Amino acid sequence: MKWLQFFTPASSITWKEANELIAQSPEDEVCLLDVRQPSEYKGGHMPGAKLIPVGELDGRLSELDKEKPLIVY
Amino acid sequence: MLAGKGFTKVFNLSGGIKAWHNKVAVGPEDVGLRLFTDDASPEETIIVGFGLEAGLRDFYLSMEKRVATKATKELFKKLASIEIIHQERLVDLYGEMTGKHFSPADFAEKIATPAMEGGLTTEEYLGLYDTDLESETEVLGLALGIEVQALDLYLRAARRSSAEGAKKVLHRIAEEERSHIASLGHFIDHGRVPA
Repeated sequence: MKWLQFFTPASSITWKEANELIAQSPEDEVCLLDVRQPSEYKGGHMPGAKLIPVGELDGRLSELDKEKPLIVY
Repeated sequence: MLAGKGFTKVFNLSGGIKAWHNKVAVGPEDVGLRLFTDDASPEETIIVGFGLEAGLRDFYLSMEKRVATKATKELFKKLASIEIIHQERLVDLYGEMTGKHFSPADFAEKIATPAMEGGLTTEEYLGLYDTDLESETEVLGLALGIEVQALDLYLRAARRSSAEGAKKVLHRIAEEERSHIASLGHFIDHGRVPA
């Protein structure tokens, strides 16, 4: 079944661009959001990343600042 | 899910945390994908949903054959069977909305497949995610991500629908997607589905 017809790209950045964005921004301006499971987060995550497992995301959006850049992984 | 809720500065990290660890840029530019546009009609949403359920079923059946662990095989087999039920509900809903009634097989052949012409096969889609298909954790993580996209689709469709009957069906399917997500998440963390 061909099923990607209706998918549209969202903005992606490389790790290098992510690093540059963080370095150029005031402290705590950029939010790193880890959407994996707690066990995966525990096994290793980006420093300072906030964990909201993807299945909980729609119920926890109030924890995120809409005005700040958000790097999601 | 984020872009549709007022978050305007959202960036997907290409290659995920693997890219960060390896300090190389991996993955194509459009790895972070979101489903659909907000101006789709309810009928279009059902066609997309049907295609997505079929794609998910393909995905779960493929992965059932690839993964080694019996528990993971059973989980994927169970999830694959539930996708058929979702497809049937969507076809019924399409019939209620349009007055045109099809069997799931006929809907697939006459409505969904022509609409999906030019899209990617399941294998091609998986190829975009740079997922190590030999890693059960990565496969489960990918399944989780796709199910969340399905949830987002149904929730947005339910919000947009003005027909109470359609809203109920779409919400019900969305809740079942949530239970899939919970099962997958729990499985990733604990190696088994919730009791």
